[in-house]
Amino acid sequence: MLVLTRRANQSIIIGRNGEIKITVLEVRGDQVRIGITAPREVAVHREEVFAEIQRENQAASGVAPSVAGKLPRPPAPPLRS
Amino acid sequence: VLVPSERFGELDVDDDNVLSFLDGLLGFPDARRFAMVDAGDDQTYFWLQSIDDPSLAFLSVVPWAFFPDYEPVIDDVEQSALGLERAEDAMVLCLLSVQRDTDKITANLLGPLIVNANTRRGRQVVLAESGYPVRAPLVA
Repeated sequence: MLVLTRRANQSIIIGRNGEIKITVLEVRGDQVRIGITAPREVAVHREEVFAEIQRENQAASGVAPSVAGKLPRPPAPPLRS
Repeated sequence: VLVPSERFGELDVDDDNVLSFLDGLLGFPDARRFAMVDAGDDQTYFWLQSIDDPSLAFLSVVPWAFFPDYEPVIDDVEQSALGLERAEDAMVLCLLSVQRDTDKITANLLGPLIVNANTRRGRQVVLAESGYPVRAPLVA
């Protein structure tokens, strides 16, 4: 891992054309506020949320076809789809 | 299109029911095209069978059938990536999983699949600030 020291209001540029910019906005105690500018095709996620959804997708990929036979009926028909 | 699948044999799917996710799903970056198949003939549950991987399929639900107050808010970046201009054009599906310990079926409300119904292009959107759960039990 590349380790850089930055102060508040200093940035790091990533990519050949500087497409991604990460700025330290504020440091307060053990919290750091970070601003991220990135092209829209680059997804930016908090690691723990990303990992949680990744794990859930993994679990969802293992649903057996037989589950379709015991799905609960909805209380009301869907209003929108 | 004819879609081979391990769970369902060969599926014959209308082009209209082929969804494309250019970025795949989180953890499944190569799963870019899915055939959408109604799992119960009532437009509530849909199987999403990967067209690129016959062994990969997800079961999903139209969330409002069980969560009428669910309101996923999609930011501008996601909206423009999907080419979505009106909320009515968005189709929303939440992936289901079965909890091993309780056998309960839960829906992922935190990372719904949002599909532009006109273009059939979709993305798995992370509603990071929403507080929606990743495993919401389906209660009939």
